[in-house]
Amino acid sequence: MEEFEQELRQAFERRPAPPSLKRKLMDRRADQRGTQRRRGHIQLWQRLAASLILVALVSGAAEWVRHDREERRQGEAARQQVLTALRVTGRALDHMNTQLAAHDRTEQR
Amino acid sequence: MAHDWQPDFEQLVDDHQSMVFSIALRMTGDRGLAEEIAQDVFLELDKHLGKIGSPEHACFWLRRVTMSRSADALRRRRVRSTDLWVEFEEHHGAPVEVRDSPLGARLELLLATLPEAQRAALVLRYQEDLTPDEIAATLAEPVATVKSHLQRGLKLLRAKATDHLREYIRDKKEYIRGV
Repeated sequence: MEEFEQELRQAFERRPAPPSLKRKLMDRRADQRGTQRRRGHIQLWQRLAASLILVALVSGAAEWVRHDREERRQGEAARQQVLTALRVTGRALDHMNTQLAAHDRTEQR
Repeated sequence: MAHDWQPDFEQLVDDHQSMVFSIALRMTGDRGLAEEIAQDVFLELDKHLGKIGSPEHACFWLRRVTMSRSADALRRRRVRSTDLWVEFEEHHGAPVEVRDSPLGARLELLLATLPEAQRAALVLRYQEDLTPDEIAATLAEPVATVKSHLQRGLKLLRAKATDHLREYIRDKKEYIRGV
């Protein structure tokens, strides 16, 4: 068996790689690196665009919230003005009522 | 120190291309496919270069990935052992014939007819001169399984080689008689 194994070792010696292997490999490597670089640039632009969209969305949302708050504040101010006007009108009417009542009492005498 | 080792891709290619190509060639029996596998393996190495800590690690990694890639290629192509034989003879007939030993010349062809697991174990044992423990680590298989593949593969290859030698001697005798 040892003789056979020796024969196997001789038969299974490493074969030299084709001379073109390294050149083809280095070409493919350069291609891959070029593709990776391009892909890296595209990814960079995609990330930039995504960031800009995100910033725009956040700004829009913040502006919408600010605008909504402003509208609510203005609405509240208007409501307060209406209430004040109603209070003033109520007092004026009360005052008028009091005067009319006093006038009626005077006439009855 | 191992972690101070700076891998040089081109140097690694120079050092190991013959090993990677030979393993892929003996596993697939197809020179073109072996070259393609070798390129793929080295390109993968390029991606993982940062994780390779020493020359020994690089060698181990290359053997392991070459075996794995070769197995994948065989699975994809679903090459039968008989087809492999024919293909192997087509691609490597000339270099094999010029060898000195008629048995040695045919052993590679006979190897292609063995089951894949036995072929893998024999290639790592007799081409790469690895121990069963190292083969087990490379193929991620139990040592007992590797030893079994080695024994069975060796037995089968020996039987095939004996048959082949008988045929060879018979042919030679007939040729001499004819002359």
